[in-house]
Amino acid sequence: MIGFVPGDSPLHRAHPYTPLAAAGALLLAAFAVGTPAAIAAVVLAALVFAVVGRSLAAIARPTLVLALPTWALLLVLHGVLGPEPRGLLGPLSLSEPGLTRAAVLGGRIAAILVAFLTVLATVSPARLVEAMTARGVPFGRTYLLVSTLTLVPRMRERAARILEAQQCRGLRLGGSPLARLRALGPLVLPLVLGALAEVDEQVLALDARGVTRGARRTALDPPADPAAERLLRWALLAPAAGATMYKLGSAVAAFVASRAVAGL
Amino acid sequence: MKPVVRLGGASFSYPGAAVPALRDVSIEIRRGELALVTGPVGAGTTTLLLVAAGFAPRLTGGTLSGERDLLAARPGVVFATPWTQLTGLTHTVRGEVAFGPAAHGLPRADVLEAAERAMADLGIAHLAARDPATLSGGELQRVVVAAALALEPDLLVLDDPAAELDPAAADALYARLGRFAAGGAAVLLATPDPGPVAAIAARMLALEAGRIVRDGPPAVARPS
Repeated sequence: MIGFVPGDSPLHRAHPYTPLAAAGALLLAAFAVGTPAAIAAVVLAALVFAVVGRSLAAIARPTLVLALPTWALLLVLHGVLGPEPRGLLGPLSLSEPGLTRAAVLGGRIAAILVAFLTVLATVSPARLVEAMTARGVPFGRTYLLVSTLTLVPRMRERAARILEAQQCRGLRLGGSPLARLRALGPLVLPLVLGALAEVDEQVLALDARGVTRGARRTALDPPADPAAERLLRWALLAPAAGATMYKLGSAVAAFVASRAVAGL
Repeated sequence: MKPVVRLGGASFSYPGAAVPALRDVSIEIRRGELALVTGPVGAGTTTLLLVAAGFAPRLTGGTLSGERDLLAARPGVVFATPWTQLTGLTHTVRGEVAFGPAAHGLPRADVLEAAERAMADLGIAHLAARDPATLSGGELQRVVVAAALALEPDLLVLDDPAAELDPAAADALYARLGRFAAGGAAVLLATPDPGPVAAIAARMLALEAGRIVRDGPPAVARPS
């Protein structure tokens, strides 16, 4: 399930910026660390985040569906085709540094997916709009962010309606993979064209309701933002941002040093 | 009554279209007037609404020639497909109806009052706490009309707003639009079936191939 799942978890009740900040911190941490043990800790933290949001069951399938092909590709690219030294895993000869690299990259992808899908499952788009409106964020930016977060569920609903209509006209969805692939044809074109036509009408409707007038929107039901949550957001983001800056700085310093050595 | 929009020899073409959607249209719509717009599919009824309310070519692209004086300060629009007109940014009917007044930056109390009034007008006050995504087409259509009315537009254009409504609900909606026009706003209402609305409209514009072929009281202006 990709998209908001109504609930009463601490993440559902929190100010919408708090789960976003936690996911941002996990993302930064995933990029800041570089060893399998450290990335395992970040993945574990992401799983705890999902458990706190009571969304683990909802996001497990989409996480695996999205991650498994990438993990397989990483295993081939780094594990099979990676550099020496190599070790044997059954009949397979695998690169040891390649496997380490694949584990770090795969863990990074898993942590980011779990964090992002948990945010999608626990942050109500309507509450996020109210929170951003209360902060005076321009409507265009709010709309862009919320539309992006709700894109997948909206497209899924539309695809389901189109498939139902096509099945009424005789489209068969079962059969071989090739037959299933062929069934995509009658889906994709109406899905894309219909979405574009809907956007046209929605632009007119939003314009008629005054969103392009430039007035500061009135927040009707802004979510509470206690001081403890604001502090928590800083506590999550500051160390993660610091670690990322440190890693970037180290990488830049190492690059400059290597160039200097090459120049000598 | 003062005019809210005046078109003089106006023609409009959509981007890339070989044939104009509107040709040489000259009309004046006044406050307090409820005018029907009718014609066969492709006659240009929707385009006339968009041009009259100032949405075309500003948002649609295309080319407008001739004269257009848009004197309405707050044009509102309602289309036949209510699900495309939801903002997708609220999770209650109240929030959806209040969206326009809130976007105008009105004080919170005024926004909520406008929303409650519009919902009561359209008979959807009992749906205020419902998620718009869970409503039927007819309920949704009334939500969309209420959202337009909450802004108290001085020109309201509606394109087949009863497409999702049963006959009784459609009659109630048309009666509400008649009262709205009588209150001083201009209403331009496109419908493929002018019959149920003819009684409350003082004027009917019949289009064919982008041209106005008849303009007069509904009894004589019904297209052949």
